[in-house]
Amino acid sequence: MERIFEVSGVTLRFAGVVSLSDVSMHQNRGEILAVIGPNGAGKTSLFNSLTGVYHPQEGTIVLNRKDGEPLSVIGKKPHVINSAGVARTFQASRMFNALTTFENVKIAAESHKGLGAIGAMLRGPRTRKDEKLSDQKTWELLHFVGLSEKANTISASLSYGERRRLEIARGLATNPEVLLLDEPAAGTNPSEKNDLVVLIRKVRDEMGVSILLIEHDMKLVMSLAERLYVLNFGSVIAEGTPDEIRSNPAVIDAYLGTTTAREAK
Amino acid sequence: MVYGVLRLINFAHSEIFMSGGFASFFLMKYLVGTSSPNGVSSVFLVIAGVLVGGCTGAVIAMTVERVAYRPLRQRNAPKLAYLISAIGASYFLFNMAGKEFGRYDLSMASPYQNHTVFTIFGAPVTLYNIIIFVAAVLMLLFLDRLVATTKLGRSIRAVAQDSETASLMGVNIDRTIALTFLLGGFMGGAAGFLFGLNIGVVYTMGFTPALKAFTAAVLGGIGNLRGAVLGGLLLGVVESFSIAFVNPAYTDVVAFAILVFVLLFRPTGILGERLGRSA
Amino acid sequence: MNFLQSKLTKKILACVGITALICLMTGPPGSPTAPSAGIVGSFKNESSFFGLFNTQRWVVFLILGTVVSTLAFLYQSNKTEVVKATAKVVSGPRTLLQHRLARRSTLLALFVLALVLPKIVTDAFWQEAMVSQIAIFVLLALGLNVVVGFAGLLDLGFVAFYAVGAYATAWATGALPLPPLFGVHINPFFAIPIAIVFAMVSGVILGIPTLRLRGDYLAIVTLGFGEIITLFANNLYGITGGALGTQAIPHFSFHVGPVNYIWNLAPVPYYYLTLGFVILFIVIFYSLEHSRIGRSWTAIREDEVAAESVGINPLKYKVMAFAIGAASAGFAGVITAAQSNYLNPATFTLYVSINVLVLVIFGGMGSIPGAVFGAILIQSVSMYLIHTPPSGYQAQDLYIYIGGLLVVMMIFRPGGLIPAKRRGRTQVEASSTASEAN
Repeated sequence: MERIFEVSGVTLRFAGVVSLSDVSMHQNRGEILAVIGPNGAGKTSLFNSLTGVYHPQEGTIVLNRKDGEPLSVIGKKPHVINSAGVARTFQASRMFNALTTFENVKIAAESHKGLGAIGAMLRGPRTRKDEKLSDQKTWELLHFVGLSEKANTISASLSYGERRRLEIARGLATNPEVLLLDEPAAGTNPSEKNDLVVLIRKVRDEMGVSILLIEHDMKLVMSLAERLYVLNFGSVIAEGTPDEIRSNPAVIDAYLGTTTAREAK
Repeated sequence: MVYGVLRLINFAHSEIFMSGGFASFFLMKYLVGTSSPNGVSSVFLVIAGVLVGGCTGAVIAMTVERVAYRPLRQRNAPKLAYLISAIGASYFLFNMAGKEFGRYDLSMASPYQNHTVFTIFGAPVTLYNIIIFVAAVLMLLFLDRLVATTKLGRSIRAVAQDSETASLMGVNIDRTIALTFLLGGFMGGAAGFLFGLNIGVVYTMGFTPALKAFTAAVLGGIGNLRGAVLGGLLLGVVESFSIAFVNPAYTDVVAFAILVFVLLFRPTGILGERLGRSA
Repeated sequence: MNFLQSKLTKKILACVGITALICLMTGPPGSPTAPSAGIVGSFKNESSFFGLFNTQRWVVFLILGTVVSTLAFLYQSNKTEVVKATAKVVSGPRTLLQHRLARRSTLLALFVLALVLPKIVTDAFWQEAMVSQIAIFVLLALGLNVVVGFAGLLDLGFVAFYAVGAYATAWATGALPLPPLFGVHINPFFAIPIAIVFAMVSGVILGIPTLRLRGDYLAIVTLGFGEIITLFANNLYGITGGALGTQAIPHFSFHVGPVNYIWNLAPVPYYYLTLGFVILFIVIFYSLEHSRIGRSWTAIREDEVAAESVGINPLKYKVMAFAIGAASAGFAGVITAAQSNYLNPATFTLYVSINVLVLVIFGGMGSIPGAVFGAILIQSVSMYLIHTPPSGYQAQDLYIYIGGLLVVMMIFRPGGLIPAKRRGRTQVEASSTASEAN
């Protein structure tokens, strides 16, 4: 199975605090992978390292693209990594608040285009065609995540569940090969959670996008993820399938606790 | 200090400086007139100048805060609004000064006889140099002790780090900010007096010194008091050398260039105390 | 202590303070030898109450102040009704303009008005002012609007691009000590693209290192850059002619095929030329605003981190904004150079940068009609004050009002006169109506 992400020996330091310590992991293409662990374990730091927001001091991160050269991620800027095929959502949803749902996704859909300023100013036929295509793609994605009715609502007034879906649509608009979801279920109610699980599976099954997610909701993770990594204090302490992780004593000790381990069954 | 607390550049600081200069100018004109005092009366006059300049600066600073910044705080305005308001306040103040007091260079009646007190390696150290040095040291000690040991100092540091939590802990944000401006304003106004002793006053006197003050603060480490002193020293030294080697008209360019380089390559400054987040 | 702290007392004090301040602002000037002349004179000078009776200024202001304050109190107590009524009136034009036909006919009417304006306004001072003060500043405001309004970058050194454009024209037409390329003196008309390119390149050069900086740092750095350009213009005698200024710059002339036209000193032909380009820039900037680029600028303004995460390169778009804004300023420089036939570094000061900033903010940051009308309005008022100055008014007093206007705008109407339709968080509008539920 081809690996889409290869992370080896990554260490990330911030003025004395070691956020990630010699972390090695990989993600297989088409897999739904989860990263779990207590707060402060380094999960979001890992995400930020994978997307170019942070630059680890040691180690390598390689992105293997479907048609293209493998790309070394460390040291690249976030927008470059996004163009290479990595999309993400944020722990606290970052919307373009003053814009509508539609505009949020459209901006992502057209970000990789490029006739540039001249084209924009002249509004020639190619620009208009590009814009039509972006519009179309945006509608398709909104329909895919179930937000078509909220297309003209200002994104600041969406509910948590809707925001999460908008972020997913926005990420998908950039044609990614892998989508990183940072706590997508946080702040959502049980029915929204179910919808999310269905949607995430749909993204992988219908669009072929690999999923990497951080989550605290164990039921959701265990039902969705095919493989997990467990982080604690910046290091990987376990890796495996949901069953393996559930019964791993180190993990139970550090994070799950015995009740949760039982519940997650 | 104001930057450390508010995270924004107080563009109006130049006018606080200027107001201290003008207030003390009028004081000296009234007290000294055409006479040439020395000895003990000089000491009293200088102290009076510092106090009057400082208090004027403090009053102007607190007024600017109350009128131009606090309403924005109450409206949760974005950073850009504060900057623009500050520029507006600055332009309002110095042009009012120009209107009321004329747009000419004015030299201040000197409260002492300036003379060379001693020389170091042949370079003369005048009475003026000594006054400035003593004033700078006293100010630094005073502010440093205040911020480090007093309750007000603790409030200032708390608000600088996290104003929301500070208010939850019972710190009166408005009062703390007002007092910060009072302190900063006093320093600025007193500096205006000391500057005016040497160069004289004019309604636009604040612009370049304030820019250089900001350069010094950034160079030394923004939000860091000792850094500001270090930065000021360094900037002064570099400028003095540049006057010797480069066309003096370009001295200001040197200061700006330093500012640009520091901001680009080491925005935390020399003493590197980073109080703020990155962009 | 309760009396002093009561809300009413504070309000009364505020009203008294503001009235006194306005009295002072509009009063006679002082001087260093008579420092209290201005202050005392503002209050004690003879003045007539609108011609009804003679009294001293403080009396006039006291009466006016009381009247206005009472109205303000009344407004406060009946705020909701008044606000609703005014909102209906104010939104009238906006809702009307939703209809395409209304929009198009308004634009057509404005266009016709602009065309016949020189026929209506025949006073020499005003015709000259229309070009050199109003039209030029409309161009500058349009350019700064792209930088500050669309991209959200506070540029305090915008005058630098204006200067670069002007001096580039002077250079290309052979008016500088530094000879032009290949020694060929060209006509300012053909210097237009050269000047614009120079301005845009300086925008890129300034932008690439500095646009990574945070808002207030960027402001200071751009301010420094503006000052440096001014310093160079003043001191590089060998290149720019220094403080003495340039030599004579020829007027525009157009010799293409059968068309042979030379602009002369008369301002009206320049007016039409500039009007044409203003319209061109408006059209271009409008397309930009509603294009992918404009949307990317909005995204960067709203949330730069999120924008990056969907593939937008913030530095690229910010530099683009600088370059595009600079183009407009550079073109304004060409007009100034050719129309006045002579350049002096004293024309390009920080005051100009701040002046243009006020026009954009007053008119509405990020709003093209705002920038245009803000520029026209404020420049017209300032020209009027210079033309027929009220007693005791000195030319620089304008900046007292400009400064005060900036503060007041920021507090009460940060969106400007004609706010941009697409709001943005960084676009200086106070707390949005939708809650930020992060």
